Amino acid sequence: MDLFLNLLASGLISGSIYGLIAIGFAVIFRTTGVLNFAQGEVMMLVAYVSWSLATALSLPFWLLLIVTVFAATLIGAILERLFIRPMLGQPTFAIIMVTIGLAIVLRSLTVLIWGTDAEPFDTIIKGGLLTVGPVVMYSEQFAAIVLFVIAIAAVTIFYRFSRVGVAMRAMAEDETTALLMGVNVKRMSMLAWSIAATVSGLAGVTLAMISSRSSDMWVLGLRAFPGAILGGLDSVVGAGFGGILIGVIGDLSEGYIGHGLKEISGFAVVILVLMIRPYGLFGQRELERV
Amino acid sequence: MRTGHFVENHGKQIALSDSEVVWSWTAVLLILCLLLPFVASGFVLTLAITIGISAIGAIGLNLLTGVTGLISLGQAGFLAAGCYTTALLITDYRWPPELALLAAGVVSGLLSLIIGVPSLRLKGIYLAITTLAFSFIVTHFLLYAEPLTHGPYGVRIQNLRFLGLNLAAPPQMYYLVLAILFLACLAFLNLMRSKVGRAFFAIRDHDIAARAMGIDLTQYKLSAFFAASFLVGIAGGLMAFQFRFVNVDLFNILLSIEALAMIIVGGLGSLSGALLGAVFIVLLPEFARTVTNLLPTHLSAAFSTHIYDVRGLLTGLAIIMTLRFEPLGLIGVWRRVSRYWLHWPLST
Repeated sequence: MDLFLNLLASGLISGSIYGLIAIGFAVIFRTTGVLNFAQGEVMMLVAYVSWSLATALSLPFWLLLIVTVFAATLIGAILERLFIRPMLGQPTFAIIMVTIGLAIVLRSLTVLIWGTDAEPFDTIIKGGLLTVGPVVMYSEQFAAIVLFVIAIAAVTIFYRFSRVGVAMRAMAEDETTALLMGVNVKRMSMLAWSIAATVSGLAGVTLAMISSRSSDMWVLGLRAFPGAILGGLDSVVGAGFGGILIGVIGDLSEGYIGHGLKEISGFAVVILVLMIRPYGLFGQRELERV
Repeated sequence: MRTGHFVENHGKQIALSDSEVVWSWTAVLLILCLLLPFVASGFVLTLAITIGISAIGAIGLNLLTGVTGLISLGQAGFLAAGCYTTALLITDYRWPPELALLAAGVVSGLLSLIIGVPSLRLKGIYLAITTLAFSFIVTHFLLYAEPLTHGPYGVRIQNLRFLGLNLAAPPQMYYLVLAILFLACLAFLNLMRSKVGRAFFAIRDHDIAARAMGIDLTQYKLSAFFAASFLVGIAGGLMAFQFRFVNVDLFNILLSIEALAMIIVGGLGSLSGALLGAVFIVLLPEFARTVTNLLPTHLSAAFSTHIYDVRGLLTGLAIIMTLRFEPLGLIGVWRRVSRYWLHWPLST
């Protein structure tokens, strides 16, 4: 039982990171219909920038957080403006390929700028121990879960109540009609990239605190795909919980079935799910008209 | 002056090419390829072998993604399946290399049917992710199923002879790859002028409309998957011949992306596009190396320690630039230039 609870806890922690990245996928997909294959790389880039800011300026933690959010927003907006905006009106296939190209460009640039060495990311919230019953976790691991809960709440409120959120939902429904209703489609696309970069970027910062700031962080982006698919790409909250589910499944299968399954079980699950429900567990079935 | 290109009878319509110019230039190209080992150094020949193998894989992927419109990010998985099949059958089961190479195609093709079944219901990105997931599962299996695959130790092939050729010698390996590439090209062109090829194009353009025209989606999508993966598996088997030491690390996600880059940069759906793309993407890092060697010493040293990342950077930029400025790829540039040339001075 203790083993189960501990595995569940570590599953929740990695699941929170997956979930935050999956929220990033879903925010962009819902608004623009594009699956951003570079989300993991954007996350890594934000974490690296935040690390550099932290080491160079030695800011207090709350200020670092604000500066990181600001930087992430900027990174998302710049990437959208440089790489995605010029592709407006092209087939979705082409735009997705651009994000794949962008992914390896960002990955290589990060190594070329910061090198391959991993560095610890030390902040004030790092290092504390939290004991809940038989489960022991570090405070930065707990921070991942807290961040996930805050992000889910914020995103839900944003989509339900804010004017911009409603406009984004309208865009997801029908881009042309939204345009006719006065929604600034270009600005919404940029905003979606900024939100996605911020949410997954904060996940990246947390991840860097949990393990270290290293040049293979982008892999998490690929592993978060199953989460996003499982929850349905068109449902932001669903994608988030899909990520949690994948994290928990990963750790449980690693603990009970075999070594190495943590990385792979999500992919096995997603193939099975897509065989049975092609639009994810919570996704809406699309009707296609010819 | 030529006024246009007219197809006047059915024979011309289904010919591999009805233009004598194309035939003669193809013959010249083929002769040049055959003569290459007599003039080229070992290094150039090794590059040529890599290009040939990549081109075979790219033709396979082009059949699936460019022609049938099924996006695959699982190229590395199929290559790995083919490569390991060949290597293991030769070393552990004493199969003759000729049969082992064929088995690579068959195993890879059969595996693709597993992915092909969900693909009947999946489209676009969902299919891309399924194939990506597949390639991760394959490499994971290869790494952890140690009794079968030697796991992290890799497989070493020794004393390789193929139809009497000594494949350790670059010229003989080169001729083998060239022959198989030639066959693959012929097979691709033949497929494109048949009913099956036209069905593939119809599925790419709109699968529901294709279905309404009486094309059995199940049958055709699965045969596209099988044919494409067969070719990719053969390319994987040839990789085993080339490296003679097989390791899971070869088959990372960059390989799948490079394969996609080849067909995008070259031009989706066309044979010459796949060939051009393979040449371009394989030579890109070499080109980069030549350029960086011209830079000041400390810069070129920095680049050479990160050659893997420079390669990734260039591949990514090549994909982005092509999609943004020339969506038809290199073959599109070629067609525009040749049209301009033919119609001069009336060209616009």
